[in-house]
Parts: sequence; structure tokens; C-alpha cells
Amino acid sequence: MNAYFPQSTGSVFNLGLHTGFMLARRVVQRPEFQWHDAAVEQLNELVALERGWDGYQAGPVRFDTASFALQMLESSCSEDTPCPQIVPGSDGDLQIEWHFAGGDIEVHVRGPLQVSAWSCINGAEQELELTNDFTVLAQWISSIAVPQVAAATAA
Amino acid sequence: MIQGLKMPGRPPHLPEFLNPPVSEVAIGVQFRPPLGYQQIRAGEVWNLYRSDYPNAEEQSPLPPAFETFGPPRSQSQPPINFVSGATHDRFWFISESGAELIQFQDDRLMHNWREMGLPDNPYPRFEQMIAKFEAELTELGRYIKGLAPQDLQINQCEVTYINTIKVDELPDSRPSTWLRGLEMPTGAVEDFQYVFRRTIRDAKGHPSGRLTCEAVSAHTRDLEPVIRLTITARGAPPSSKISDAITYLKQGRDLIVLGFVEFTTDAAQAHWGRVK
Repeated sequence: MNAYFPQSTGSVFNLGLHTGFMLARRVVQRPEFQWHDAAVEQLNELVALERGWDGYQAGPVRFDTASFALQMLESSCSEDTPCPQIVPGSDGDLQIEWHFAGGDIEVHVRGPLQVSAWSCINGAEQELELTNDFTVLAQWISSIAVPQVAAATAA
Repeated sequence: MIQGLKMPGRPPHLPEFLNPPVSEVAIGVQFRPPLGYQQIRAGEVWNLYRSDYPNAEEQSPLPPAFETFGPPRSQSQPPINFVSGATHDRFWFISESGAELIQFQDDRLMHNWREMGLPDNPYPRFEQMIAKFEAELTELGRYIKGLAPQDLQINQCEVTYINTIKVDELPDSRPSTWLRGLEMPTGAVEDFQYVFRRTIRDAKGHPSGRLTCEAVSAHTRDLEPVIRLTITARGAPPSSKISDAITYLKQGRDLIVLGFVEFTTDAAQAHWGRVK
């Protein structure tokens, strides 16, 4: 037995499952990402839409588009970001929207890496084409979004 | 031929090793599910490769994965576990020896080599693997063009090197014998795990992907202590074309090799027979 690896409990064939690292982690305050579960619920509904849901021939939101949109949200939302509204498009695309007193943000996800973002904050409009970097979107959200915890407290 | 020497096509600036600890390599791309393709056609795709990969297995599909960027975050965010909609199985098309395989699902194609403890199964080297993968990807592109007027819409590329470092190959070994940045002045560690990421930027300085390095102490079935060092380069190529994807994969491999030299110690590299 190697003196420096006396009780290495991991398995090279099953990494992450039996390493014991999770046991050592004591989480006393788990951040609440309320937008996450709500967004997943909305996206799950959108990818399960029946063809013709719009009264014409529109299909459901494409699975890869929905998956990309969720990863985009993870890159741009903080733990207290309010959940946006997510609406389907007629071409397998989707739109994500936040509307607050301080402004509006609308993000059209046409597909993976194909995003049009628009904001109107304090009367100033901006429109951008984005691919994989959502730093600007995060700044927009941060500037107008009322944190969900604070909003709940105020209510 | 001696492994690691005079490999045709190997970039001259890359370090070389006679006996690298690599135990598995995966090269792959992710693309939009092609129009007109359904799972019932998976056998047609297998037929594209069946002469070299006569065996098949079904696996659970890999979820779509994208490298996206925003403000720095802590690692406490919830994992994405978005699973819904119609899914397509992942198929393994496996070579006769089992050492090489193609992984296919409706939005992925990957080529793996695995060491598996097989005799006469040296790492075939990246240059040979990427040439095979380019041919396989081109063949898939030709196939889906037959389903509808379309090209593969590649949106992510990924190269992964898994290195299994046998700890007892050097006497009095500890993690810092093999990996940089793990020196613990107060004594040994029982086990460890670390992960870090580095942004890959394109020619204009924009983020295009990430280099992810993960090291974890583990052991083999024979209870032999090892360090499993996994280095992955993943990101979006400059366009959806196969040629750009292949170039991106080659660049990703360069970053992995240079990262491997950066993350491992001089003593470890000498042990693996660094010749350049």
C-alpha cells in the first residue's frame, strides 16, 4: 500500500460515485435557484407541444434549442434572478422575456449559438446578436431584475 | 515504430513522450439533429462503418452540451438535468478488438480509442485518429445529405484525453510527485479531487470554448493506486463546416498536450519518456 494513498476509495472505473467526496461535503445553506426549476418546467412543456399547437403546422420547440437556452440562462442568471417567461416560436425556436418596471428584455433563441437579444432599459434600446457569451445579457438582467427573494419578502 | 517518434503530421512544437500514460482518447462533434433522420435509420448509419466496426451496443444518450459564458460563478449552481422530449439512443459501433469505437446518436459522432489492457494495443496517436474521424464525419455528412438537402450543422467540438497515472511506478510517490500545485507541506493527503477550467479564445479574443482539467485519486480493480487525469477541450468551431471542426479539434488537442506538460511535473514527464 502506498503511504500517500492509504485509503483511496475511488474507482477508476466508477469515478464520482464511490469516491466519498460527497460525504465530506456538509451543505448548511443551499442557494435557491428558483428560476431553474420553473424554467425547466416551462421548457419541458414546450418541447412536448403537439404539432399544430398554434392552429397551423408549428412543431414543438427543438430539444437542442431548449437545452441550449437552459445553459444560456445558467450563464446569465444569478441565484435570485426571477424566472422569465418562455414562449414557443413557430419554427422550433423560443423567446425568453423579462418585464419589469425598470425595463424589458427579450431574447430570441433561434437555435444553439443563434441568439438575438433586445433590451429597453430606462428608455434606451439595445439589440445584439449573441452566440455563446452572455455577459451582456447578465448585465441587463442584473440592472433591471428585482431579486426574487426580495420581491417575495416585499409581497 | 517507437511510439511518439516521427509521427507524420504531428505539429513540431508539441512535446512528445515515448510512453504517455494515456488510457483513452475521444474525439467528437455535436450537431443539430439532421432533417429526415429518425432512430429507425440507425442501422443505415451503422452500415457506413460496419466493415471496421462489426459489433454494436446501445447506450443511454448524452444530453446536448454547450460551452457558454457569462460572469464568473461559484460552483454551487444546480446541475442541469433537463431531460425531456423524444430521445435517441447512443450507439457504440465497436471494432473487432474492442479498442476503437464510434459513438453515434442523432446529434453526436465520436471516435474513441481505449487502452483496455489489451496486448498489442498502443495508443494509435492523434494524427491517425483524427484522419479516421474526418473520414467518418465526412461519410455521415454524405449520408444525411441523402436524407434532405442539408449539411451537418456542427455546433460543438470536443477532444478528451484520459490519463491513468500509476502511482507506484515511482518510489515514495505522492500526488505532488506527478502533478504540479499539490505540494502539501504538512503531510500526505488521503485522497483528492480537483477541477479547473480555462477559457479558449478565438483569433479575435472572444471565448469559444474551455479547457477542463480534472484530477482525482482512484484505484484500479486490482487496488492499484492511480491518479486519473482527464483533460478536455470543448467549444464552438468558427463555422459549422467539417473542415473548421477538424481544425478546431486539432487546436484543442494542442491545448491538451501543452496543458498536460504544464500540469504534470518534470519527474513525471521524465518517467513517461519525454523526448521533446
